[in-house]
Amino acid sequence: MLTIRDLSVEITHGDRIVRPVTGVDLELHRGETLGIVGETGSGKSMTGLAVMGMLPGGGRVVSGSIDFDGTELVGLGDAAYRRIRGNDISMVFQDSMTSLNPTRSVGDQVAEPLQLHRGMSLRAARRSAAEMLALVGIPRPQERMGDFPHQLSGGMRQRVMIAMALICEPRVLIADEPTTALDVTIQAEILELLGELKQQLGMAMILVTHDMGVVVRHADRVGVMYGGRLVETGRTADLFRSTRHQYTHALLASIPTLAQDKDVELFSIPGSPPDPADPQIGCRFAPRCAAATERCRTETPRPVAGPGEGHLFACWNPVDERQATREVRRFDASGIASSETDAQRVRLSVVDLRKEHPVSAKGVFGRRRSVKAVAGVSFEVRAGEAFGLVGESGCGKSSLGRMLVALDAPTSGEVLLDGDRVSGLSPRRLGSRRAKLQMMFQDSHASLDPKMRIDAILCEPMVIQGIGTAEERAERARALLAGVGLGASILERYPHELSGGQRQRIGLARALALDPDVLVADEPVSALDVSIRSQVLNLMRGIQRERGLSSVVISHDLAVVRYLVDRVGVMYLGALVEVGATDEVYTRPAHPYTAGLLAAVPVADPDLADTPVDRVHGELPSPLDPPSGCRFRTRCPLATDLCARVEPVLEDVGDDHAVACHFPLQPKLRETTTAEALTAGEAR
Amino acid sequence: MWFLLRRVLVSLVVLLGISLVVFLMLNLISDSPGRAALGQQASQAAVDAFNREHGYDRPVLIQYVDYLLQLLRGDLGRSYKLNEEVGTLLLQNAPRSAMLSLAGLVLALVIAIPLGILQAVRRGRFIDRAATSISYLLYATPSFLIALVLIGIFSQTIPLFPAEASQSSSPWVVFTDPRSMALPLITLAITNVVVFAQYQRSAALEQLGMDYIRVARAKGASERIVLTRHLLRNAITPIITLVGVLIPTLLAGNLIVEAVFNYPGLGLLFLNSLHREDYPVLLAYTLIGGALTVIGNLVADLVVARADRRIELGR
Repeated sequence: MLTIRDLSVEITHGDRIVRPVTGVDLELHRGETLGIVGETGSGKSMTGLAVMGMLPGGGRVVSGSIDFDGTELVGLGDAAYRRIRGNDISMVFQDSMTSLNPTRSVGDQVAEPLQLHRGMSLRAARRSAAEMLALVGIPRPQERMGDFPHQLSGGMRQRVMIAMALICEPRVLIADEPTTALDVTIQAEILELLGELKQQLGMAMILVTHDMGVVVRHADRVGVMYGGRLVETGRTADLFRSTRHQYTHALLASIPTLAQDKDVELFSIPGSPPDPADPQIGCRFAPRCAAATERCRTETPRPVAGPGEGHLFACWNPVDERQATREVRRFDASGIASSETDAQRVRLSVVDLRKEHPVSAKGVFGRRRSVKAVAGVSFEVRAGEAFGLVGESGCGKSSLGRMLVALDAPTSGEVLLDGDRVSGLSPRRLGSRRAKLQMMFQDSHASLDPKMRIDAILCEPMVIQGIGTAEERAERARALLAGVGLGASILERYPHELSGGQRQRIGLARALALDPDVLVADEPVSALDVSIRSQVLNLMRGIQRERGLSSVVISHDLAVVRYLVDRVGVMYLGALVEVGATDEVYTRPAHPYTAGLLAAVPVADPDLADTPVDRVHGELPSPLDPPSGCRFRTRCPLATDLCARVEPVLEDVGDDHAVACHFPLQPKLRETTTAEALTAGEAR
Repeated sequence: MWFLLRRVLVSLVVLLGISLVVFLMLNLISDSPGRAALGQQASQAAVDAFNREHGYDRPVLIQYVDYLLQLLRGDLGRSYKLNEEVGTLLLQNAPRSAMLSLAGLVLALVIAIPLGILQAVRRGRFIDRAATSISYLLYATPSFLIALVLIGIFSQTIPLFPAEASQSSSPWVVFTDPRSMALPLITLAITNVVVFAQYQRSAALEQLGMDYIRVARAKGASERIVLTRHLLRNAITPIITLVGVLIPTLLAGNLIVEAVFNYPGLGLLFLNSLHREDYPVLLAYTLIGGALTVIGNLVADLVVARADRRIELGR
């Protein structure tokens, strides 16, 4: 169907030449899904854009050919290419918020390719568009036709994007990170939808993603890209079971799984991915590869056949059986600072915390409404303990995190640090206690002042709190950098000169500058690539252990939370639905929501790829009007009448394991009757 | 609907404030309305008698309230210098000014929007750099100088157009006598194009980088369709806001153009009234300027909300 031979792309920016894709060979057969995986800058998206003939400004294909069913696409004229684009070959992009035109109705946008390619009238095209919207699972498509993109949820927008790409029934669909911006539960639905439609329309699909779990479950064959080159390709099962390339092997090893042994350090690849502007001599992965030899640095490896059919890899020192069982590095247990008695002490406690954001009323006399971002959450974090908060976007976990470090004042309820209230105080009264509560942010690019040098960034907290002399502060800044594995030379640089991983380390170092008692990390690694992510995770895990720091880790990534924390709380629509020891919650989830979330996580294991999963369906209801009774009932397979009437309270289902559910998946320690539940619910 | 009512109420309060400030200021700088009306030769007794007769001897605030009540009746006062109702004077001149402004504005938009988008598409190329350089040059040039240079070239050196605008009292003179109105119109258009085109350029540049533009191309749309169907509506909102803000300034722009080309409009009336110290006319002109500012902003907000559905009025 689609044959790419020796494809190389160059982008010219002034006198700088970047080579994002070099010598890539790929084949896509009728009806199959080809996964292209790689990290940022690996050239995976650029390969997709090259097929679409839509390279960015200054970009061109310098060599190779792209054969689409007998038509050579390289060098094809503009008009001829336009007839193929959106008609025979379509593309779905990552971010549906920015990928839909904000000022045109979704119906018109879905109908547009039909007008362009089939010469249909707007009316006829709209009729087909409504049918297509129904096909991609949009409820009441006729009513949605006139909606504008901002009126739809992220999942619905992505369905619109897919409808738009498929309306002309293309033979090839290129999906570029189609689910990266979505929650796991929605991601699973979208990927399944794509799979079904592929079957139904008999098309072939290229699935471009960074997520190995997605590829395992949804691709027939996989191509792994690194530094602009295709390093390994083959049938999905072959590639994952008998991985040959050192990079693929290292990448798979560095992904934290839901079954990760937490005392074992995650495998991590040192260094960072190559700059596509650098000269390309030898294997691109050689500088970061543990098995690299002199030959790897001087000679570019040619693809050789692996064990399976069509399995090719380009590596001079491929992974062999001996290496497959790699050596594990355990965390040094003696480094744990907190003593037994100390560990029992409650450091941070959250009591019935609420946060409501008022929304402007309809009309002058309308009832004032409010979004209940956090609706009565209570939990405790003990000294030296790591507590995790997981949930889908919009569940209130970040609002909660900001209140924990007193960046936001709660509407009601309180946060206590060592028994003293820290919430709702004026900055003056909070004073030095603020130093004990520090935060690490998700986006290190936005949370580091671009006009400040790293030394100033690291010293600022100490200056504000009036700690030490200038020399002492400089000394501490160097120590902090060393603590996060960075050299002192970075002190004189600016944030934009650092890589994403380095910046996130600076964010961590800054949060540690005041030697806090509690560290709140909001999505600490979600902006980072897989190979960098494991470096930062190991660092955080090590620091937690060495310092006896209490930490709260907020993330949508269940595997990340599993690796970093001792106890975990699952949030849904502003409320805590399950809380308990991490292993307990992950192995014996008691709330149907927790179970569904865990089931939706894509796992990078080909043996599990075909097992059916019982995941959460549907979308998150609006926090403006949360469902009555149990908030989860609208998406819960077990919901009954009782769930609609009575809001469940947290009840123990085990030692340090509580759940707020009328029908928990694990037996309650003390069985409550319906009548008791009713009175308990009414008492609230 | 509630939004509209609220905005109108707020606008009225703003206008009330403007009228108070302007009234007090004019009261401060003028020695006495009687002296202004009767001239330097009149005796003090006659001036005092005039002031008493017309209530100008009362406290300022009472005079202001009186003026407001008079405004409510639709009476803008009387020009003693021209011995004419201010309302009548304005009505005679306003349509001519409005037509000139409107024609100038439309001409400017018709040139500036495509030019700005073209500059964005050809960013950094010759056409973009040339247009930007010329824009800056013209932006820095006072409009009377532009007018004089135009007269020098197109009226003196090459006698294409007359140097004076049409003196006809018809507001349609812009269309009936385009030759005599060409230079005033071109002057107005130039001063506006240089501003609009630069705004349009940066707005279009921002939108060109958006993913939905890439998606439109991925659908197989030609560049013409990408620009007209997808880019234009998103890139035009800053211009709408700008036009709303500029509507009252166009009145001031007219002041210079009307003075240079001797076009009998509001601007010329204002200028002459300034020389004559004809305060009732000045007061009314300023109030109308204030009203136009408020209305221009309101209309711009409504149009922007209509063009971009993400904007919810009243939020």
